[in-house]
Amino acid sequence: MTIEELYQQIGGDYEQAQKVLRMDKLIDKYIRKLAQNEIFSNLFNASEGLDPTTVFEAAHAIKGVCANLGLVSLSEKASELAEEFRPGNGRNLSDEDVRARIEEIKQQFNSSVEGIKEYEASQS
Amino acid sequence: MIRSKQIDRPQVVLVVDDQEINRDALGVTLEDYYEVIYAENGKEALELMNEHFDELSIVLLDLMMPVMNGYEVLERVKDDEQLKRIPIIVLTSEKSAELKALQLGAADFITKPFDIHEVIIARVRRIIELSEGKKLISAAEHDHLTGLYNRSFFFEYVNRVYLYHKDMKMDALVINIEQFHAINAMNGREFGDDVLKAIGEGINEFLSEHNGIGSRTHADHFDIYCEHQDDYQPLHEKIQDKANALSPNVRIYTRMGVMPYSEGVDPVTMFDRARAACNMARGDYQHPVIVYDEKLLQKEMLDIRLLNDLDKAIEEKQFKVYYQPKYDIQCDHPRLRSAEALVRWQHPELGMISPGDFIPLFEGNGLINKVDSYVWKEASRQCSEWKKKYNYTLPISMNVSRADVYDFSLVERLKKLMDDNHLDCNSIKLEMTESAYTDDAKRVLEVINQLRALGFEIEMDDFGSGYSSLNMLSQMPIDVLKMDMKFVRNIEESETDLRLVKLILDIARYLGLTVVAEGVETGGQLKLLKDAGCNLVQGFYFSKAVKPEEFALMIEKEIEERKQNDD
Repeated sequence: MTIEELYQQIGGDYEQAQKVLRMDKLIDKYIRKLAQNEIFSNLFNASEGLDPTTVFEAAHAIKGVCANLGLVSLSEKASELAEEFRPGNGRNLSDEDVRARIEEIKQQFNSSVEGIKEYEASQS
Repeated sequence: MIRSKQIDRPQVVLVVDDQEINRDALGVTLEDYYEVIYAENGKEALELMNEHFDELSIVLLDLMMPVMNGYEVLERVKDDEQLKRIPIIVLTSEKSAELKALQLGAADFITKPFDIHEVIIARVRRIIELSEGKKLISAAEHDHLTGLYNRSFFFEYVNRVYLYHKDMKMDALVINIEQFHAINAMNGREFGDDVLKAIGEGINEFLSEHNGIGSRTHADHFDIYCEHQDDYQPLHEKIQDKANALSPNVRIYTRMGVMPYSEGVDPVTMFDRARAACNMARGDYQHPVIVYDEKLLQKEMLDIRLLNDLDKAIEEKQFKVYYQPKYDIQCDHPRLRSAEALVRWQHPELGMISPGDFIPLFEGNGLINKVDSYVWKEASRQCSEWKKKYNYTLPISMNVSRADVYDFSLVERLKKLMDDNHLDCNSIKLEMTESAYTDDAKRVLEVINQLRALGFEIEMDDFGSGYSSLNMLSQMPIDVLKMDMKFVRNIEESETDLRLVKLILDIARYLGLTVVAEGVETGGQLKLLKDAGCNLVQGFYFSKAVKPEEFALMIEKEIEERKQNDD
């Protein structure tokens, strides 16, 4: 499996990732690291209590990291969540809706991680 | 040869982001052009900034970070004199954050994701250039020796304070070093620079405790603009102490003029007045700090008027030459021997102006040459006229100022004056104040030798009024010593003064010099001087300086006496 194939599989924008990271080996490095990045677990763990600061910070970080990696869909979803919890912004969604969105991100993240594992296996 | 790269300062970029991927994304973009260092949060960033503040060209700062966020970094840097010189570009994806960051002092922002790296490079480069340009300006802003502002920046800031902080009551101060050129000449430029540095240090210390700014405007001129204080003696003492500490062998004197806050008076006028006050303190080592007041204002106005009127006065012959006789007191009856030509100014509007009001003024700016030349011409013409009329030459003394000595045509001009008036050089005596001898001894010695070779007699004027040294007396080839009037004034009352006069007379006798006692006013003084062996006296006891027609009568009387003696 090539990295382009991985991006196709997980719905990422490889060109975007190339624009930001400029080197394939960096894309390779960070796509492999995605699963370990705590920002995701931080967000998922916050799902229950919905502490606004934690959700905002985690969502904001996910938005940035995913945008750099060309994981456009994940980045957009995280961005919406970040706006919902940005200090100063009023809340628009119910807690349930928020949890649903976190769940959506989680599923997309998990399926991306699955794809990444396949990619890693194919590379070794 | 030094390559330009070696002259360039290293350009280090600090990338601050909690996400490694973001740090790397920027790193790969920047590392072709800069040395890149990284921090994961604001706290680490501040530590690295403090550690590398002199190499850091720029900081790229994420806003949302754990431990310490980017806003807090901006806040802290804003209040830190050292760190705030490093430009910061904020990394953000939110429009709202941009404004806040810029308000907090960020130089620019880069939006996430970092997709157009050429834009990133261009922005980083532009901000670095801008900031280095600013630092260059900052280098030009300060005087390299003292770290004080240079003249143009100082007055720019002074004006800002004056225009935008009208509630602040600011004083203007001007500080000069006495005879700085001589300090440089005698001890070398390096020592002169040390003096300037020491004074700059004193001023900087003062400014660290008081609200104000300071400048070395040029050479040894320092200006301070600071919030009003009643007493500047402590500042002067501080500066004086710094200067004194430099060398036990060189005495440095500073003087200070103060123009206290005065509502509505603009800074230029404030500093002009402080400067006028500072000039008043010139040479007055007892009163080195002078505060500008109403009296000084009037004096200044008069000075400006006199300076303005000088050329016209010469043209219209407003200067009048008066003659004060000098009598030989060692004869049975005192006999007229010579006279001193003294100048008066008959101003058409201000009336008779005392020489005390205009001579020091013109001496201070070199214009005294014009007055001296006028007097020499007139006195020589008069001497020649009397010579013809009476067939008798009574020598006239003329004053030669310090500034005249530096005129390289002096000897030639005086010789020509004698020739034009058909006078022998021994018809004219030249009086030089003792301060002229201390300035540039070599030059003075040269001039005196040339003048004496021509036949002029040289008189040392005001001996004992300033820095006299016996050593100088033995070195300078003079003919006559004019003892300052302050020695004579109290000889009737003070045994010590009389003893001092006798001592001077002894020394003069030993060196073969004639002594003229100045300022003799009483018969008692005359008798004591005569008994002590003084040759000649000048003073109100015999006569004040008089108009030529009155003096002519004295000459006639002397001629009459001569005839009688001859008979």
